[in-house]
Amino acid sequence: MSTPGIPVLEGKYMVTMDLFPQESKEFNQIHAFYDYLKEGRFTTTRCKDCGSEPFPPRLLCPECYSTNMEWIDWPTTGTVIDCTEEVVGVPLGFGKAPLIHALLDLQGKRTFFVRIINCKQGELKPGDQVRLAVFDVDPVPQEVGRDVVQIPRVFYAFEPVK
Amino acid sequence: MDRNVCILGGGMSLWGMREGSQRDFFQEAAKACYEDIPALNPKDIDGLLVASAYTERTSYQTHLAPLVAEYVGITPRNICARVELLCASGSSAIILAFGLIKSGEADIVMVAGGEKLYTPQKWEVFYSELASVDHDWDGGQGLGLPPPVFAMVAKQHMKQYGTLKEHLGTISVKNRRNSAKNPKAQFQTPVTMEEVMSGRMIVAPLTLYDCCPITDGAAAVILAAEEKAKDLTDKPLVYIRGTGQASVNNMSANMPSWTTWEALKIAAHQAYTKSKVEPKDIDVAMTHDCFTISEIIEMEDLGFCKKGEGGFFVADGQNDFGGKIPTNTDGGLLGCGHPFGGTGIRQGMEVMRQLRGDATQQVPGATIGLTHNLSGFIAAHTVLIYGREVA
Repeated sequence: MSTPGIPVLEGKYMVTMDLFPQESKEFNQIHAFYDYLKEGRFTTTRCKDCGSEPFPPRLLCPECYSTNMEWIDWPTTGTVIDCTEEVVGVPLGFGKAPLIHALLDLQGKRTFFVRIINCKQGELKPGDQVRLAVFDVDPVPQEVGRDVVQIPRVFYAFEPVK
Repeated sequence: MDRNVCILGGGMSLWGMREGSQRDFFQEAAKACYEDIPALNPKDIDGLLVASAYTERTSYQTHLAPLVAEYVGITPRNICARVELLCASGSSAIILAFGLIKSGEADIVMVAGGEKLYTPQKWEVFYSELASVDHDWDGGQGLGLPPPVFAMVAKQHMKQYGTLKEHLGTISVKNRRNSAKNPKAQFQTPVTMEEVMSGRMIVAPLTLYDCCPITDGAAAVILAAEEKAKDLTDKPLVYIRGTGQASVNNMSANMPSWTTWEALKIAAHQAYTKSKVEPKDIDVAMTHDCFTISEIIEMEDLGFCKKGEGGFFVADGQNDFGGKIPTNTDGGLLGCGHPFGGTGIRQGMEVMRQLRGDATQQVPGATIGLTHNLSGFIAAHTVLIYGREVA
């Protein structure tokens, strides 16, 4: 991998240019979210003291400020409220236009604005059902001692239920 | 100590797709600012707040304020720091300067903001936008660039309230007409409704002229305690009357509503209350028209018209000259462009000129003005109210 204009960076990984989050336990205390994602589960944290279910998952309950949190499963299917199709200006790393997003009702848990994949232009409409779609993203070459270890990663979008 | 605070002068570089660096633009803005206040010895400026959001990403430069101080020839001794709140960085810095002067911690503060956003390869700024939202959650969904977000806002507003594409077009035509008379604006030509309606599709229903551009440039203003301001200018004094800034969510999943911006209503309420004014008292406004739909919702949530009637309000000319609340009289973001850290400062400068009575396109008799920014995933809102008299 070359880095034109900056030869000293040839082959180097730059966290500041990474589309996706750091998912390993060394860099993220909610790494379990990604472990569950690999199993096809969409999870968040629930506060054992007050019962709130904040998203994104976190260490500190934003309602009662307890740190007594547990992992729970959330639905993996939702209903499209409305959708958008970005035909110009799709950022690098998100494929060819259109980049499709949907506002979806995740069975009353939250209203998510998410990327829709495996979907053709003009195909998605309000009322459609979509489901969680987990996919691999580039691993992070992470230093472990004197070695560099490839840490596998996944991320998520949603896709039409056909 | 509780002192009155004035905005007494300002200037900006040419905004647009510029040749030059971030530090070049700060020098151009400072020069224009100094020329607006001939009696000011820049060495007497005792504070500097610099607003810039992308300085690390597109100029590879942190610790920006001392650099700007050195380049513009000032030696701050009470405050010298950078402020970042993406699109609201500039107005946030004005609020902080206001507080420092009001409390007696500083006397004369320069607030300067700007960006160099165009990089040798243009993909980089768009890529960097993934840092503007919650990178780990919304960024990974490809939501860094804002058009899909505001397209969804527009679709929902149209669905709920019957807002029309032509209503959005009214904003484009008005703000581009205004920027065509602003020699520092990015866009120097007006556009017709026909051009707007046939603009290139970006994300339906938003087309090209619904979207503000990427912009290089900087702006700077001077704030001072009233007693200092009286010594430095013989122009009418313009005071900061009150401010508000609110955030109720950050990630998209936590947005209370896509068409009623709760944080804006809170920030506006705070600013109106502290300023002892109501929406009907505002003579001129600079609101955050990053997209045409934004200005329509802002008319509603700032209280200038009823909820849901924003589209019809602007189509009726009520936020243009001669209407209830002339808005974005210098061209706004759609016409002037939007170098994130510079925008709030450009807005404050235009309101100052309107209230001094020397704006390029003057609202007759304006005595109270308002500025508004939104930032991030519509995640924070910032409102300032200026007046010819203190609150």
